[in-house]
Amino acid sequence: MTSPEQSELSPSSVWPWVVMAVAGLVTFVAAMSVSPDAVQGQLSRIMYVHVPAAWLAYLAFGITMFGSAMYLWKKSLKWDRLAHSSAEIGVFFTGLAIALGMTWAKPTWGVWWTWDARLTLTAIMFFVYLGYLALRRTTDNLEVRAKRASILGVVAIIQVPLVHFSVVWWRSLHQAPTIIRPEGPDMDTSMVVTLLIAVASFTVMYVAMMIKRMELAHLEDEITIEEQSHQGPAAGDAVVAPDLAGGV
Amino acid sequence: MTGFWTQAFTITRRDLLRERRSGEVLWVTLPFGAIALLLVPLAIGTDTRTLEAIGLGMFWVIVMLFGVLIAVRQTNTETQAQRDQVALAGIDPAAAYVGRSLASFLLLVVFETVLVFVTIVLYDIPLVGFEWMPLVILLVAAGLSLLGTLAAGIVSTGRSAAALVPLLVAPLSVPLLIGATQTFESLRYGRSSLAWILMMTIVTLLLGVAGVLSARTLQETG
Amino acid sequence: MCNTLRLVSGTSPIVDLESVSVRVGATHILRDINLSINGGDAIGIFGGNGAGKTTLLRLIATLIMPASGTATVFGVDVATDERYDIRTRIGYVGHTPGLFPEMTLSENLGFVAHAMGIDPEEADRSLAAVGLAGAANRRAEVCSHGMQRRAEFARVLMTKPDLLLLDEPHSALDADAVELVDALVARTLDAGGAAVLVSHDKERVLRVATEFAEIAGGTLS
Repeated sequence: MTSPEQSELSPSSVWPWVVMAVAGLVTFVAAMSVSPDAVQGQLSRIMYVHVPAAWLAYLAFGITMFGSAMYLWKKSLKWDRLAHSSAEIGVFFTGLAIALGMTWAKPTWGVWWTWDARLTLTAIMFFVYLGYLALRRTTDNLEVRAKRASILGVVAIIQVPLVHFSVVWWRSLHQAPTIIRPEGPDMDTSMVVTLLIAVASFTVMYVAMMIKRMELAHLEDEITIEEQSHQGPAAGDAVVAPDLAGGV
Repeated sequence: MTGFWTQAFTITRRDLLRERRSGEVLWVTLPFGAIALLLVPLAIGTDTRTLEAIGLGMFWVIVMLFGVLIAVRQTNTETQAQRDQVALAGIDPAAAYVGRSLASFLLLVVFETVLVFVTIVLYDIPLVGFEWMPLVILLVAAGLSLLGTLAAGIVSTGRSAAALVPLLVAPLSVPLLIGATQTFESLRYGRSSLAWILMMTIVTLLLGVAGVLSARTLQETG
Repeated sequence: MCNTLRLVSGTSPIVDLESVSVRVGATHILRDINLSINGGDAIGIFGGNGAGKTTLLRLIATLIMPASGTATVFGVDVATDERYDIRTRIGYVGHTPGLFPEMTLSENLGFVAHAMGIDPEEADRSLAAVGLAGAANRRAEVCSHGMQRRAEFARVLMTKPDLLLLDEPHSALDADAVELVDALVARTLDAGGAAVLVSHDKERVLRVATEFAEIAGGTLS
């Protein structure tokens, strides 16, 4: 925890950074200390980052929908900031999950990309939320931006389950879910524990990142609102009488 | 005050009249789609069996990508003054959404119908299950027009609006694309395609509801 | 309902702005505007480029929302969905014509007539009244700026608004059309309505205005 003097110097506290570092370290140590998979060898360690990253992507986009819906209901910009921050983090982890999946797939399956349902869905989600972030760049008006983005945030998530089902029906080559099965996990207990530790650490990391990102978003909004306050310029102030004596 | 449907049909008539005069869809986008269907064999080779296999899939891809252009054709040309005039004619934004979608729907039906014949001619695709084609064409046209009109409303007047709409629409049109292609894939293997038809219907209904509910909020944002 | 009653009894103004501010992005367009317009008023508002004239007019036309303060038109708070019920009573002519270029002048007016439930024949009658009978079947895109503006006045003639909002009404008009603006304003006032004319051309507006105000830096004085 920071002392009062420190928090006066910097508006945000330092502990989210510490949490992120600790969570990363825990994942790293856990992933490196578990014995490698009998068949896949060292490569299996990618799973301890790939799976949590994919989980965070889904979690983050779910939170984006929640924030968007809450904004449309309450019209408070803090919900828009929640949706925006989560979408940004979600896009990052989606990208990470895809990149790691490809790194794993090339030596394992012999190809970078394969058209299985989950991969395709993840790629589509990546582009949907890239579009969401692009939409946010089209206007500086906070309320207008929040409204448009929130509607897209809700519409996108209505579509995602449909995309999910359509893609799953379309083709399911991906290995079936390996942990949540009635007959118990089909993995060594130490690997399951490691994976759960990694997922938990990443979730904590997400919360810490969200706190920092929302602080940043709040500051961004403050700056814009400050500019729009009564001290801000009026449109006509930029127009003065022409001065043709100046040697034109 | 006039009723909701009177207002919606007024918008539809205006859009169709403007299209009849400008010919943007039927004389520009449609030939462009046909050219795209012509380009594919030139690029991948003219092996008859390959073309037979990919023909229908190519048709749907081109419908999705070019169909977006039809649904959002006015986004980049409409002026503030025109929007003001529509608003002050007392037209409910939800009626405007429905009216616009309806006009785009009709244009998309023509677009798809012409291109499906072009595909049959150029790719010699097997006509298995084609008794379902009219229904699938209608569903895809409905879903795509509702989605495109909604996306155009969301992007509206912002910077780089015209470029952004296809990025928003393309990934969200995946259920329609898969639904359309798999309907015929299922039929070809003698299975029922009802699940796909149902899925496309649900997508269309959800988009319609989302578009109507968000219309007023979107107009408010200018 | 009670709003309408008050309006009829003449105690409620047609337009009532109470410390209204409007901003776009980081820029204030209007600041702390107070304005009350009653039936029979024709207000001239003057100001230089970027003073906020057009924004004020679009605010009154319920086309933009105030960032703070309350704007009431025909007794309806423009920030509420009730604004959809009063829009057809407002006649707004912007400084750029909003006609659809592929449609003829007659079709453009017919579009508004259909939407508002007016007899479409009124469209041609109104075009004739502004001297455009011969151009009724000409596409808007081949009409001059001045003709398009006349067509917009014809639209307002057709819709018979209770509140007439004119943005730079005299620009791109010949002498005949200038008379037309005066006549439109006079007709609206006679019917108990009100008019707001925004311009940088004081002289012409003052021929019809009953009151006037200056706008500078987004503030009325």
